[in-house]
Amino acid sequence: MGRVAGKKLFSIMALCAMIGLLLLPIVVSLPSLAIGADAPDAVKKEGAATVEKGRDVYYKTEGIVVGAPAPKTVDGPRDYPRYNFESRVLLWFANQQHLYYGSFVLAVPIFCMVIEFMGVVTKDKAMSKRYDQLAHDFIKISLTAYSLTAILGGILIFTFLTLYPAFFGYLSSIFRPVMHIYALMFVAESGTLYIYYYGWDKMTDGFLKWIHLSMSVVLNVIGTLLMFLANSWIGFMMSPAGVDEQGRYLGNIWHVIHTALWNPLNVHRILGNMAFGGGVVAAYAAYKFLASKTDEDRAHYDWMGYIAMALGVAFLIPLPFAGYWLMREVYAYRQQMGITLMGGLLAWLFIIQATMIGILFLSTNYYLWQALGRMRGAEKYQRYIKYLVFVLCCGFLVFITPHTIVMTPAELKAMGGQQHPVLGNYGVMSAKNGGINVIITTTILSFVWYMRGNKVSTVSWSKFGNIFMGVFFGCAYVNIIWLAIYGYYIPANVRVGLSVPQVATTLSCLFFMFPLNAAMMKGAKQMGAIEWGKISVRSQYALIMLATAFTWMMGLMGYIRSSVRLFWHVNEIMRDNSPWAYTHTVGFAANMISFNVLFFWVSILFVFWLGSLGMKKAPVEVKAGVPGGAPQPAGGH
Amino acid sequence: MKALMSVAALIGAAGILLLAAMTVGIVPSNTVRLLEGYMPVQVVFELILFVAGFTGISYMMAAMGMAFPRFWQGILMWTFVILYLKFRIYPPIPFSVRAMYGAVSLVCVFMWVSANEEDWKKFKQPIMNVLDAKTGGIRILRYAYLIILPLLIGGFSYNAMVPKSEEPIELRTVHPAPPASTKVHGKTYTLQTSQNPYRVNLEGKYDQDYSNAMTVEQGMGRLMKPNANPWDKDAQGYLKYVREGGEIFYQNCHFCHGDNLNGRGLHAFAFNPIPANFTDPGTIAQLQETFIFWRVSKGGIGLPNEAAPWASVMPPWEQHLTVDEIWKVVLFEYWHTGYYPRTWD
Repeated sequence: MGRVAGKKLFSIMALCAMIGLLLLPIVVSLPSLAIGADAPDAVKKEGAATVEKGRDVYYKTEGIVVGAPAPKTVDGPRDYPRYNFESRVLLWFANQQHLYYGSFVLAVPIFCMVIEFMGVVTKDKAMSKRYDQLAHDFIKISLTAYSLTAILGGILIFTFLTLYPAFFGYLSSIFRPVMHIYALMFVAESGTLYIYYYGWDKMTDGFLKWIHLSMSVVLNVIGTLLMFLANSWIGFMMSPAGVDEQGRYLGNIWHVIHTALWNPLNVHRILGNMAFGGGVVAAYAAYKFLASKTDEDRAHYDWMGYIAMALGVAFLIPLPFAGYWLMREVYAYRQQMGITLMGGLLAWLFIIQATMIGILFLSTNYYLWQALGRMRGAEKYQRYIKYLVFVLCCGFLVFITPHTIVMTPAELKAMGGQQHPVLGNYGVMSAKNGGINVIITTTILSFVWYMRGNKVSTVSWSKFGNIFMGVFFGCAYVNIIWLAIYGYYIPANVRVGLSVPQVATTLSCLFFMFPLNAAMMKGAKQMGAIEWGKISVRSQYALIMLATAFTWMMGLMGYIRSSVRLFWHVNEIMRDNSPWAYTHTVGFAANMISFNVLFFWVSILFVFWLGSLGMKKAPVEVKAGVPGGAPQPAGGH
Repeated sequence: MKALMSVAALIGAAGILLLAAMTVGIVPSNTVRLLEGYMPVQVVFELILFVAGFTGISYMMAAMGMAFPRFWQGILMWTFVILYLKFRIYPPIPFSVRAMYGAVSLVCVFMWVSANEEDWKKFKQPIMNVLDAKTGGIRILRYAYLIILPLLIGGFSYNAMVPKSEEPIELRTVHPAPPASTKVHGKTYTLQTSQNPYRVNLEGKYDQDYSNAMTVEQGMGRLMKPNANPWDKDAQGYLKYVREGGEIFYQNCHFCHGDNLNGRGLHAFAFNPIPANFTDPGTIAQLQETFIFWRVSKGGIGLPNEAAPWASVMPPWEQHLTVDEIWKVVLFEYWHTGYYPRTWD
């Protein structure tokens, strides 16, 4: 009894320590945050004559100048020291690898939190252990990747310092307090992660398990805040605020952090990280599935792949909407930037991005259709898949139609002008919004089919429920397509606003149809068990495709976001005067992204291998009945 | 179900025959026309009809005991899409887009034929038969493939790589990115925040909603609203400025941009590309008014470096028109096309 009480005390103390670590950077930074308020007094003491006021380029507020102007760099060893190689490409590589790993180590603890929570609330003891084991295995992989993230972060900073000293000097002069908070947050993240990981076996049951779960919440809060702080730097580079036209800091650190694009970037990145993490884990499971030699292992990795895919896709579904919001804010911030991205210089990269998004959803749907194959009784849905393919195909074709078409002058002449009467209509946002919403709604429909694959509803209102669901989805499609067409006939600001009802329609399918389906399937008659492991190998390639497409798309979007600044280090504040202040060709960018993707996958395989060296074996009692005894989350796909 | 499928099969068969006849010229190629302005919806609708038709034909054949092999279903479906894109849609779609559409269609056909194990087995059966080559005839077929496939691939590769005399592909940007601000007649205009001074209500205040209510309506063509006639002698404010803008347009711009602002003016076809078609939803409808103001003022020569290749010979109209005249022309272009300039409120 005394030992248990001691453990409880220890656990609570550990949790308090974590919260303390979380609050530490904020407490330490309080004087720094107040610099904006203190600075005027300090300046006043030196005499009124020295006070110089500046106007915030974004907030348009007046503030007292407390920083130096942005340096006017010149090409040479002082501002741009270099090797016999393009410095920008070196920085690109270091940055991208750090981002890949950073995203992974931020996403996996969130996964662990969700999976551990599922384990805690699941009544089935065997399943509970299995979830717990899965979460533990992943945090272990995350631990190895965490070290690599820190190393890559160091490499990135050294690359900045040695190749872009003037730019980094300016950035750190503006973000001085934020960078210190960031460093302290990193310490807090590390401490919390280690306590969380090493405390796993000490806190296995009851109250202690809840304490442990709370630690994962604290860990993820710290991780998310870390990411938000890092986002403030890139937000500042794209849409600077808190400085005057010369780039002089005006003393308000909140203005510098809270730029026009900070919040959209935060939302987009957190969703992106989660979907990316899900993809990587699913690909890992797929690889292990394909390499498995026993039915037991195949069942385990099939299940793992499914869980990771489902979690990843849960965040993938809202991701295009977050992206849309980000682009809307970009347009609202600078029309010039928006046009460069979507209609001008970088438009073709956006088409590639649309293609990647389409591939993600197509892969997801394909996986789900394949997954129907491991359920007995799901055959009734399979003959309708061709219609889903057609709908997806139409949505995809519209979504990837380019606005800027690549063509020879002869084709241009044959077309009779720059605008094609069909493609011109598909190539604009109104149609594309319709396209992507159709794709997402179809993905939701595939999920609903999967969830009811091997079941027959026994509720008295099942016929009504089925008709209602059919009508609901039908109306959703009609509404999405109708709004897409209607968008051509109304002012642009209203048209942009139409995305709200379109998104609402799609999300209502998700939020109303899932619970309705779950209610209908409560106590449903099982036509057959889910035979984990008995899924086609094509499904596993779909998972690998999902992850690869995601990694590639992340690299692409990072490049697009960065290159939209064109020849600016900090947009309209600090000009890039290095010899590399030009935009790469599409081909070079694609090759570079592919190289980054390849490097990441090779290195992450190494991390997985390291992680697998100390991987615990799954509990015997759980594995005993595989495939029948393998996880059968019949009620909770 | 059977009746429904019979109707679908009938539509499918009739549609395919009609399309084939139109393509080879047995019946006039404009028997079923694609209507300008409705083409995008019409194309999707036609594809839906064809898919329904194919499904019906397939169902009927299976019901009659003559099931069409899944392998050939997939191949024919994809071939149909490729031919439809190539021969049905006019003006012709550039190859780059057809290639994208073709690749996506191929992936979708693959997803269809491999969606479940049974279909996948059916689909790959003919391929496996050829690879296994259990009979003499199939063995010959296998050898034929062994020779023909590398030749085909080699031929395509050669054709792709061989130097050609045609002009190279251009990755031209339709909307060159504008600068943050532009200086016209000595005054600097911030493109993000500037407004057209003539987009005003009767009280002389800037009013987007008021002017939007006055633009022509889009329907079957573009119709002027009865109470919003700029050529009415009593027209005041916004409508008067539209009329003045129209006069400037027809004195200076219509030679290239056309009477109907569709880029098909008297001199248009001397250029490649022809001037911008303002009636297309992808041009001025997507842009802020200040963007048009900047483009008109600075012309082709004023385009930024990143907008290359420029391929625009529009003169810098600031050398010929006043600022007020440029704003009025812009006002007229939006009024005449029935589009609303992009705003962010």
